[in-house]
Amino acid sequence: MPSPVIRRLASRLNAGLDHLSAACSLLVLPLALLLFAQWPLRDVVGAGSRPANDMAQWLFALYVAIALRSATRRHGHFAADTLAAGYTPRLRAMIERFGHALAVLPFALFVAVAGAPMVWQSLRSLESFPDTSNPGYFIVKFAAWLLALLMAAQAVVGLLVPLAPPGQAAERGDGS
Amino acid sequence: MSSLGLWMFAPALLLMVLTGLPVYAVLLAVAALFAAAGMLLGAFDVSLLGALPARLVGLLEHDLLQALPLYALSGALLNRLPLVLLLHRVAERAFSRSGAASELSALAVGGLLAPMNGSVGASLHTLSRSVAPALLQSGVSADRTAATVAVASTLGVVIPPSLVLLLLGDAMMRAHTEAVNLTQAAVRIVNTQDVMRAVLLPGALVLLMAMALAAWRARGVTPGPSMRRTLPRSHVFTALGVATVTAALLVGVALGHLLAVEAAAAGCVLLALTATLRGQLPWSRWRLVLRDAMNLTGALLALLVGATAFSLVLRAFDTDALIAHTLQSLSDRPVLLVGVVLAGLLLCSFVLDAFEMTFLVIPLVMPPALMAVNDAAWLAALTLLVLQLGYLLPPFGYALVLSRALLPVQPGLRALARALRPQLLAQALLIAAVLAFPQITQWARPTEAPPPVTQHDAAEAERLMQDTVDAQRRNAEPPNDAASPALR
Repeated sequence: MPSPVIRRLASRLNAGLDHLSAACSLLVLPLALLLFAQWPLRDVVGAGSRPANDMAQWLFALYVAIALRSATRRHGHFAADTLAAGYTPRLRAMIERFGHALAVLPFALFVAVAGAPMVWQSLRSLESFPDTSNPGYFIVKFAAWLLALLMAAQAVVGLLVPLAPPGQAAERGDGS
Repeated sequence: MSSLGLWMFAPALLLMVLTGLPVYAVLLAVAALFAAAGMLLGAFDVSLLGALPARLVGLLEHDLLQALPLYALSGALLNRLPLVLLLHRVAERAFSRSGAASELSALAVGGLLAPMNGSVGASLHTLSRSVAPALLQSGVSADRTAATVAVASTLGVVIPPSLVLLLLGDAMMRAHTEAVNLTQAAVRIVNTQDVMRAVLLPGALVLLMAMALAAWRARGVTPGPSMRRTLPRSHVFTALGVATVTAALLVGVALGHLLAVEAAAAGCVLLALTATLRGQLPWSRWRLVLRDAMNLTGALLALLVGATAFSLVLRAFDTDALIAHTLQSLSDRPVLLVGVVLAGLLLCSFVLDAFEMTFLVIPLVMPPALMAVNDAAWLAALTLLVLQLGYLLPPFGYALVLSRALLPVQPGLRALARALRPQLLAQALLIAAVLAFPQITQWARPTEAPPPVTQHDAAEAERLMQDTVDAQRRNAEPPNDAASPALR
């Protein structure tokens, strides 16, 4: 059992990540506006559609990097749980807590470590989009790394602070 | 050692079913476990796995995937606004001469909105929340309600321009390019537009068959008086406006005048603007919409991340070679080969959803299949029809299970399977017809398609398959530093 200090820290990290997710959920609005604007910019104005698309690209990358962790937090992932739905809530909570961390942590840590040089190099040079030279491509690479980092953080937080069991969580999403 | 990769599927399926853990987490766990085993056994080098971060970047810069949060947002807006119920009521009134008015209306609304809804799951949630209670209220039995909602929710798989369809089109284009590069066949590479046109008629037939079956079952049933109630004129105008704009956007994409992301973005902006102007989107509701959209986007992306890691390890084991060689043994009997591929896809669809199939299974099985089958759009249409059928097959079909679970009164599985039986039979016949008569998928395509089947002699087929495997291995190798920025 982790010490109360560790648990408190994990709870705070969790709350902080929840706030970050709530704030970043708004990113889908400028994303929709930019992609909508692409159409008149291309067909009516005749300019500006590529910068709009590139900006939408890095907004998309940041949004989805945070969305994956958000779906985990809210038990929104698609699961073939017809059989497991019959387990006791205690068993399900245990599987959820330890199984998820065991499953996700190796991948997330590997990507975070193996991808760090690529991301660092891109950040240092403020890499532009290769085919348009518009700025911001480094954000796309950073988002891939952030995605792995947030996955790892959520897995660790889930280990230290049990999340609400699926039945009590917010409405399930799915992935099909 | 290549057969070791095939063994990845067994623990993946077992863990999914026994633990109830998210599918993406299970895929990641099995990939990590087998990657470790592969390195310990010396099957491949750790540097091969170094491609993983670059592959994740590839996902985040995938042009088509930009549409993913937009489809999720439009689905969330539809789900949280009373528009779906409004459309259902107006369509119900339009079908009021039939005893199956409610079911016909649900199917029509599903056919209109499912392609904009991003996923079968999102459609199921939308229809279960708004249309299913209306069906039950109209006196439709629980099993019929669940069956209707399940069928209506899966229509997005076969009616353009759903996200599943667009992504499959992209995957087929890559697979076809790979196959044509190796065979040097004089055929045009299939594109997403071809796939959409190929599935247009079969998709319409699935919808029409469902409606015809509903109407046939209700023959002799007198419509209830509630069907003939007069609706406020504003409701009718709103429903007509939403239906017209949605249909215009869908047609715009299907005909190639609009990009899918632009249509999805336009749908989101118009829906949000209309609802805001009508005072239907207070901040409290916006928060729910944004939360729903983010969760669904995250859930969908997680599947792609899981599939990316899983397929990388699978290829590292050379399992793609094994699959290619197995399929190669059938290359002199192309129809049997297609049948085997489709049967495999049907089996996979019990546990994998269409997005995972597109990123995990299609790149493995389609290049060898497309070396024996020239008409890639025909094969894509068949794939979509099979996937849609898989969602409805008892006892594990995803739409079947979820539609049952989401109803306030849950019908028995047997009753639901019985209610779905005529639809499943009709769809199986449709698949057989498309298999036998590829022309069904060719009428909406502008140029005359080549004959669907090309035969190679055994030696030539062997050489081509080996080339495919080599090409796939090259794809699995980590890109060097100079290549990675060019991923875009």
